[in-house]
Amino acid sequence: MRLLVSLALRNARRNVRRSLLTAVTILLGVALLTCGMAWTRGAFGGILDKGANLMGPVRIVKAEFAKKEQLMPLADNIADVAPLLTLARATPGVTGAWPRIQMPVTMTVGEDIGEHFALVQGAPNEWFDRALDLSHHLVEGRMLQSDDEVVMGMTAASDLGAKLGDDLILLGQTQDGSISPIKVKVVGLSDLGSGAQNRFVYVPLAKMQWMADIPDGATEILVYGTTREDALPISAALTQALAADPAYAALVVNRWDERPPFSAMSGLVGALQSIAAGVIVFITALGVLNTMLMSVLERTAEIGVMRAMGMRRGSTVLLFVMEAMGIAAVGGAIGALVGSVIAYYWLELHGINLGNAVNKMPPGFAIDAVIHGDWEPYMLVQAFALGLVMAVVGGALPAFRAAQIEPVEAMRSRR
Amino acid sequence: MSYPMTRQITSTLAGALVVLFALVFSPRAQAVTVAELLDKIDANMTYDTRESYLTMTVTKADRVKVYKMHSYGRGQNEAAMEYLEPARDKGTKMLKNADELWMWLPSVEKTQRISGHMLRQGMMGSDMSYEDMMDAAKWRTSYSGVVAGEETMDGRACWKVQLTANSPDVSYPKRTIWVDKTAFIPVRQQLFALSGTLLKSWTMTDIRSVAGRQFPFKMTVTDEVQTGSKTEIQFDKVTFAVPLQAEVFSTRWLER
Repeated sequence: MRLLVSLALRNARRNVRRSLLTAVTILLGVALLTCGMAWTRGAFGGILDKGANLMGPVRIVKAEFAKKEQLMPLADNIADVAPLLTLARATPGVTGAWPRIQMPVTMTVGEDIGEHFALVQGAPNEWFDRALDLSHHLVEGRMLQSDDEVVMGMTAASDLGAKLGDDLILLGQTQDGSISPIKVKVVGLSDLGSGAQNRFVYVPLAKMQWMADIPDGATEILVYGTTREDALPISAALTQALAADPAYAALVVNRWDERPPFSAMSGLVGALQSIAAGVIVFITALGVLNTMLMSVLERTAEIGVMRAMGMRRGSTVLLFVMEAMGIAAVGGAIGALVGSVIAYYWLELHGINLGNAVNKMPPGFAIDAVIHGDWEPYMLVQAFALGLVMAVVGGALPAFRAAQIEPVEAMRSRR
Repeated sequence: MSYPMTRQITSTLAGALVVLFALVFSPRAQAVTVAELLDKIDANMTYDTRESYLTMTVTKADRVKVYKMHSYGRGQNEAAMEYLEPARDKGTKMLKNADELWMWLPSVEKTQRISGHMLRQGMMGSDMSYEDMMDAAKWRTSYSGVVAGEETMDGRACWKVQLTANSPDVSYPKRTIWVDKTAFIPVRQQLFALSGTLLKSWTMTDIRSVAGRQFPFKMTVTDEVQTGSKTEIQFDKVTFAVPLQAEVFSTRWLER
């Protein structure tokens, strides 16, 4: 084996230019892979974190509400949320639970009732801070202090021409379907960095309960753990607790990743990451294959001599694969380092600004305008390992080809 | 005149009498035209002026909501309504003037125009749309159709009539109605979309004689698309041909 390793390394040094080319190909592939992993982890992780926060990692709703969620059916509400909030807050792993009501409304500032539509979220101040960090995203004004005040997302405010201190009329509906208006004062304007979130209007829960005519209730109870991964044990515990009480038979517990759009996304993210990694490995492997194939062609006679001296086919394959892996180890190590530096300093710290494109995202699918990567040390090792895979994949075919060479024919070809 | 001839003339006359009797008293002779029926319905249901107090009970699944209202109407184009109960809707007013419908929202002191598709949405979440509630158009003008037969509906002998709207802007393009043969009230109606989908069922009961006309004091509307939803309207007091101040049908009244 030592002989094979020594031969492989010697062969790698024989044609420095070609080996360098192979190493650079692997370097680029590994660097690209590292950046890709950091970028997708950051982009999708950010979307998932934000989505889970916004939707509630776990929520308790009426089963009928869950079925017709797109229509925001106020009639399918939880009439009394207090006992459920107590139950949720006592569940192990739960860090907070809050009621929420969402409703589409038309908005008016000034004399005429206009045609501007918005989505209103009614919840306690603590939820606005826990889920949205709203108080740290105010660009003007302050947070809600009384039931007659609202904070408007920047897009909603600019579409309507509303400013701080304006009286805003929101025309919604009661749970029975009656037209239900409220008059509130704009005390804050927020920029949550997401087009969808900037179209919301944030209303105190009590005011929203009046508008929807659900005095002690809400349509959803949102339950939070420390991270979104806590959703699984919390939802299992809550499901068990609700099942024990027949009074809660009409309720269901949903996890964030069971609900659209994320129910379809979690599998999709993994698949997209695998496809992207597969494409990079394949393209890089083609480059390795090309240079290694040239190496085999150049050394046909030499291979013939070695085979004639007793080198087995398996050892021949191993020799070429080890040569490719040796080159890949150098290229991959540098590539993983370069990729990590780019991923950390450019993607993670600086981010990529998507500009106004995010404003077109649908509500509930909140994406920040600046998307940051998320580099983790394991990516360095993973990308390096994939670099070696590139070498094995790219080097295998030429190696097998070399192993098939008959010694007599190989030596004859020298002439 | 010979006896056989006399006998022949007698039998001929008797035959003619039988035919005449059959013509006069046959069901065909009793049949009415749709136009006549619609005219008689209009004579009962439309008015020059009307003032009424009514109670609307909306039942959706296990939730019941009761509204009390005071309404006014003049001719086919003007109607006004004020909510008296419940407390959260008290003072809400609606005004219909021709094709325009306005709503005064006292809690925000604003007037909202109800237009387009909103006119066909349930008024206050009921199964009656704003159009249903405020519509006073003459049946004869809006519909034409055929008498499809005679049926007994809730113990009342009725004409079954199938109607088709005369113009596309009518709320329900097709209706099947059962018209009480004596009161000339459509005691039951089935309201269809153009596609033929049954949208609502509407019954009119508690028919009383008011100021020389028949009028149903109770109406029940059932949404046939959304199951478990029913709206009952009980007229507590109805007065026809009342003098109404012109101001009632103005935006001044709405915002007063």
